[in-house]
This record gives sequence, structure tokens and C-alpha cells, in this order.
Amino acid sequence: MHEEIALGGSGGQGVLFVGRLLAEASLLEGYEVLYVPSYGAEKRGGNVWCNVTISDEKIGALFIARPTIAIAMNPASLAKFEPAMKPESLLVVNQSLIPSKISREDISVVYVSVSDLAAEVGDNSAGNLVVLGTLLANRPVVSMSSIIAVMDGMLSKNQERLEVNKRALNKGYAWVQKDYVHPPSGRK
Amino acid sequence: MSKKTLMAGNIAIAEGAILAGCQAYFGYPITPQNEILEHMSKRMPEEGRVFVQTESELAAINMVFGAAAAGCRAMTSTSSPGFSLEQEGISYMSGAELPGVIVNVMRGGPGLGNIGGAQGDYFQATKGGGHGDYRVINLAPASVQEMIDLTMLAFELADKYRNPVVVLPDGFLGQAMEPVVMREPVTELPSKPWAITGAVGRPKNIINSFEMDPVNYRPRVELLLRKFDEIRRNEVRYEGINLDDASLVIVAYGSASRSALTAMNMARQKGLLVGLLRPISLFPFPYQALSNLAQKVVDFLVAELSCGQLIEDVKLAVGLDKRVELVNQYGGVPLLAEEILDAIEKLIKQPAGR
Amino acid sequence: MTELETSELDTALYHRPESLEDYPFHFCPGCGHGIVFRLIAEVVDELKIRERAVCVASIGCSVTSYHYFNFDGLESAHGRAPAVATAIKRCHPHLIPFTYQGDGDLASIGTAEIVHACARGENITTIFINNAIYGMTGGQMAPTTLVGMYSTSTPGGRKPSLAGYPIRVCEMLSSLDGPAYIARVSVHNPAAVRKAKQAIKLAFRTQLANLGMSLVEVLSPCPTNWRVEPVEALKWLVKHMLPQYPLGEYKLIEAVAALKKEVGRA
Repeated sequence: MHEEIALGGSGGQGVLFVGRLLAEASLLEGYEVLYVPSYGAEKRGGNVWCNVTISDEKIGALFIARPTIAIAMNPASLAKFEPAMKPESLLVVNQSLIPSKISREDISVVYVSVSDLAAEVGDNSAGNLVVLGTLLANRPVVSMSSIIAVMDGMLSKNQERLEVNKRALNKGYAWVQKDYVHPPSGRK
Repeated sequence: MSKKTLMAGNIAIAEGAILAGCQAYFGYPITPQNEILEHMSKRMPEEGRVFVQTESELAAINMVFGAAAAGCRAMTSTSSPGFSLEQEGISYMSGAELPGVIVNVMRGGPGLGNIGGAQGDYFQATKGGGHGDYRVINLAPASVQEMIDLTMLAFELADKYRNPVVVLPDGFLGQAMEPVVMREPVTELPSKPWAITGAVGRPKNIINSFEMDPVNYRPRVELLLRKFDEIRRNEVRYEGINLDDASLVIVAYGSASRSALTAMNMARQKGLLVGLLRPISLFPFPYQALSNLAQKVVDFLVAELSCGQLIEDVKLAVGLDKRVELVNQYGGVPLLAEEILDAIEKLIKQPAGR
Repeated sequence: MTELETSELDTALYHRPESLEDYPFHFCPGCGHGIVFRLIAEVVDELKIRERAVCVASIGCSVTSYHYFNFDGLESAHGRAPAVATAIKRCHPHLIPFTYQGDGDLASIGTAEIVHACARGENITTIFINNAIYGMTGGQMAPTTLVGMYSTSTPGGRKPSLAGYPIRVCEMLSSLDGPAYIARVSVHNPAAVRKAKQAIKLAFRTQLANLGMSLVEVLSPCPTNWRVEPVEALKWLVKHMLPQYPLGEYKLIEAVAALKKEVGRA
């Protein structure tokens, strides 16, 4: 297994937290893992990215040029990721904030109504966990139970947040996109 | 198997220092290493040790000088502009034969530059940076585990040779998180009878780098030179991968070596005979290892996050009749594995020889 | 409507100062920098010195000040702005250089430079922004951080036994003979902002009259690193900073007092 996952969004959307969850869950499952965050210079509101590499082998490069999986939470991230994705990779798009559709036909894409689903679990800021759930439903790089185990540890002092996150995660996992697009080869 | 924890590079440096028995930390905020300062501000008091946020890097290095003179394991951390300020202090420490650890988490330069990672301080760190005939051991971590291990080694070597040691990661490594194994804490620290601890039951100790008597001018420096020769003989460290059958060897350190590793693997998948030599000690530099390799390797490709600093030492090692090319980024921009692979393929396509 | 009323309506009462570029600020919501930049720009316009003004930027959140002003500007290494401004003024006495510095730049690494610029009585102006914290680098302690105050490098609150006491810059520098005008103001409400503008204007007029070093310390909110909402930050400033850093004039030589009398209000 070797996945190169890119996540991007605006500061405050919780992109880095999801990156951390993936990294910690991968470690729990015994993989080699690398997590690298990047920030813009502004303290507030700038774009935030991170990449998570999960592998059976020792990991080399810190930065990935061609993600195999990406989560785009805002338009800037989609603009950055779409051209870079490897063929037959998976792109999860926050369609609540990103009105455009992708044009590439050789990658799988899932559009998620993040804001609606987050509102359904009662917390507008839980969108990051929603997309994580969707990602795992389509590409189970780690198991949901590993993610939950990691969250149990990280949020042990904040049960309320923990519960909301779990609901959001499951909401995202159950999300079935109406016009799910997969590449011509028929592979998901 | 030891339990692994996910840890960020900057935090790993701080925890490595604490494991090594660092008794005093002095630092000033500068991006991208503020996490070291902040972590130490919490942890050092927890461990009953000294922490001071200083007014500047000038003050910080001089506090390291003081603590070292007092016989304590002392450290400061900074980034490139602050490292420039510390050069005078490092020269003083070497001249006065004081141990100490200086961490420079390199960022884009020159000048204020930017907060991206870079390797543009290579010359400054390894060739001197400060005034006079001195050298400092330079250790270059390339993983978060090495951020712990080489920081611990830095304290050990600083005490062994009574000389400052620089730990030289780049900003990207500082932010990266990887699984690490926590090491055992160092419990026995070497005794330092020369230190400033109060002349109780012993003749007084003086720590200085100043020499008044012309008769002692040369011998004073020769004392240091012998030390640096010993360091050259004993403390060369590097990692070699796939060197046995390589016709092209990449030379890289720090995060550039991580991209080089991926590039090497991609090249091997294409059937290209590529190896990687990763210096871990930048001073003393693995000249001999490279020189030996040059007897059978056709091409050397230096990958670095600077405009060409490491490459000069590689050329010195392998000789002017060897092809040594550069693939690089600078100004705080990361170097991708794909860029290194392109350079490998381009080089292999061109027949060697002038 | 009378003719007079119509012509008054034709007068623009509020517009972007010529000295302020149409360039979006990058500051956090509730930051005081934006206010002070505007005040400086208005003063430079009113004194008609835009073509002589020089902004010597420093290291901190205001590092790119020269992008916001419509006059010459340059960077300086951390803490060294007064030295850079000194050189500019000595080489080109007709220029009006001012330094714009935060509490790290002026009161931490730059203490030697500001003390000696003041001691020499350099004909430059310093605008010193005191928000009791390090902003740009993420909220570490500043020399002006209050006792007991949280910062990322004093996570248990600033303890004097470990981290000493805050520095009162105006009080400290006014013991020197070189400065002609030293004042501390604030921007926590409209009345304070008006007084801040008066002080900044008097400082620049001090330089224009070659009367010596002028420095205005401005107490300013930093909601992000104080970890409060912007409105809360203003209340926090009033409650905690004003007692520690009393507003007022700390040095006012006779010649500057005379200048002050010349014009009733800014």
C-alpha cells in the first residue's frame, strides 16, 4: 500500500486535524506514515494544506507532486489539486463551497454537500469529519475504527466534540453521491 | 518492539535535548522554529531546568556561552537570520573551548528571506560563519527520528571535544510529523573540572579565548587544530544506499535527501543504476567516502535547497575530472522527487566525458 | 437649500489619504495596526510631506508597512530600524524618516538602537506599537507582556521570578536628554484615536522643526494572540494595559510645547 493524500482548505476548516487523524490511524495500523502541514504567512484565514503519506515501505519525499487521494474543502484547493492528481486517483470535493465541477475524466470524484451534512449533525464546523468519512467509504486507507480510536484518545477531554465528530464521520461515510463519477475503466 | 509516537520535527529536537540532559535552553522567537522555544518553555521548568526567552539571538548565544562555561549542557535554537547573529558567539565558544548545541532550522534567504525551508546556510554553518580559524561539527537530520538522535549526539560530541556543535535541519523537517521511538534519557554526564563553579577546594578556573602573550599565539590555535583533526578522523557520518552497482550517485542531505530517496527508487524501477550518499555529518564531511566512490561511479548529482553550496564539497572530494551536476531549489521552495528524477534521466542520456 | 449648504455638500469630508495605498491590509480583525497606519497617512498628507516621508519598516506583523504607504519605504533587520533611520536622516536631512516598530523589535532586540538614537537626539520619529505580545511569530511573550499574562512561551502566565517584569518604554527613554517629545497614546476608542493622531502629528512636526527625537508609543489590541474577540480586546486593553502603561506626555521640551500651542487642534 502506498497512498499520497493531499488535503486543502481555508484556515479554520479543520483540514490539518483530519490530516492528523489519518496519520495517527495509519500509525496505529502499523504503516509507515508522514504528515506535513503547510501554512500561508497570515495567522488567520489563509489557505492551509497538508499531505499524509501512508506506506508499507520507508517513506522518502516530504512533498507529493501527484496525490492519489485528495480532499478539497475550498476553491483554491480544488484549483491546486485537480491538475496534479494521478490517473485513477480519488478527489473528494466540498460542493457546498465549491460550485465548479472538475473537468478531468481519468480520476474519480465524489461531491459532498459538506455544509448540509454538518448541519444535520448539528455542528457547522464538523465538515472536516464529514469528508473524512466519505473518503474512507470510497478508499478505506485506514479503518473507521482506527480513526475512532485515535479520536477517542485525542478528544478524551471533550466528549461533546467527540460525539459530534463521530456523527459527522458516519454521516460522511454513508453519503452516496447522486451523480457519482468514476473513470471510464469502471474502477471506483 | 518499542512503541512509536507521531511527533513533529521541532518537538523532537526539544525532546531530544531533554533526553540528552540539556540543563539550559535559551532562545528567541523566529519562524519556523518557534515550536522548539514554546515546547521548551513548558518542559524545561517541568524538569526543573533553566529556560530563558532572551531579548535577541545575540543574547541567547552569549547565555549559552555562560551556561557552558558553568559546566552545563546548554542549547539554543534559531533560524537563519538569528544564526547569523550567533556567529560571533560560536567563534568565541570554539576559541574558549566550550561545548554547546546550536540548532539552526534553515529558512529561505538571504536577508529576511521567507519562512519556507531551505539549505542556504551550508557555507555559513560548515565553513565558519564567524571569524577566525575554528570549525564546528555539523549534523544534518533527515527524519524526525534523527531530529531526536542527532540532537542527543550533538550534546555528546560537544562535550567530547569541548566545541560547539550545530544541528542543521531545514524548515520542512521541522514541521513534518513522523513516528519516532523515544530513547532512554542520558543519566551520566561527563565531569567538567575546568568549569566555572566556584573555586571551592581547587585553584581558580578561567574561561577565555583571548591570548595576550605572542609566545602563545600559535600554540593556542594549534590546540584547536589538533582537535579538529581528531574530529575529522573520528566523527564522519553518512548513509549510503544502493552504492555497490551505482553508475550515478545522488548526494543530498536533510529533506533534499528524502526527495532523492524517492527519486532513486523511481529511477531503479526504470532500470537505472542510481545510488544515494547522504552525508549526516556535514563537518567533518565524508570526503574519503566520496573519493572512493569516484573510482567507479561515472556521475554525481547533487540535490540541495540552495544555489550550489554542498556541491563544492562534492567536487572537492571527487575531483575535477568527474561530472558533478546540480539539481536544486532555493528561496524556500521544496525540491520534488520528480525534479530530481528528471535530472537523473537527463544526465544519463548525455554521454559522459567532455 | 442655500448656496453655502450646497457647496458644503460638494466637499469630500472623508476619503482615502493620498499617503495610503489602495492595498488591502493583511491584519487580523480587531488589530490596531490598521488604525495607526491611517493616522500616519492622514498626518503625512496634512503636513504635506508625502514626497519626503520614508517608512522604515521593522520585523513583526507590520513587516510589509511599505506596501501600505504611498511614499518611500524600506525594511530593516530586527531591532535596527532606528539605526537605519538615523543614516537616512544624516545623509538626507530633508527627508522625514520614521520607524514603525512593535514591542519585540523596539523593546527586545532593538533596545540598544532605540536608546542610542534617543541619546543622540536623532531628528527622526518612532511610532512604537505596544500590544504586549509577539504577533507575527504566534503569541510568545514580549518585553511588554504583563505579569501573569498568558503567552505561548509563558504558558502558566508570566512569572517575574523567571521572566522578569514588563518594560515601560516611554518612562525609560524619557530619562535621556536627547529626546524632544515622548508620548504614550492608545487606539481603544474614538476619543483615544483622536488624541493618538494629535500626538503623531506633533511628533512629525517635531522632526520637521529639527527639534530632536520624537517617539509615540501606541497601546494597541491583538485579539488573535490575546485569545479574545475584538470588542473584548478593547475592554482588556482598558482594564489591564492602561494601568500598567499610563497614557500621557513623558517628555516635552519647551520648543515642542510651543509648537503644540501654535495650532489648537489637529
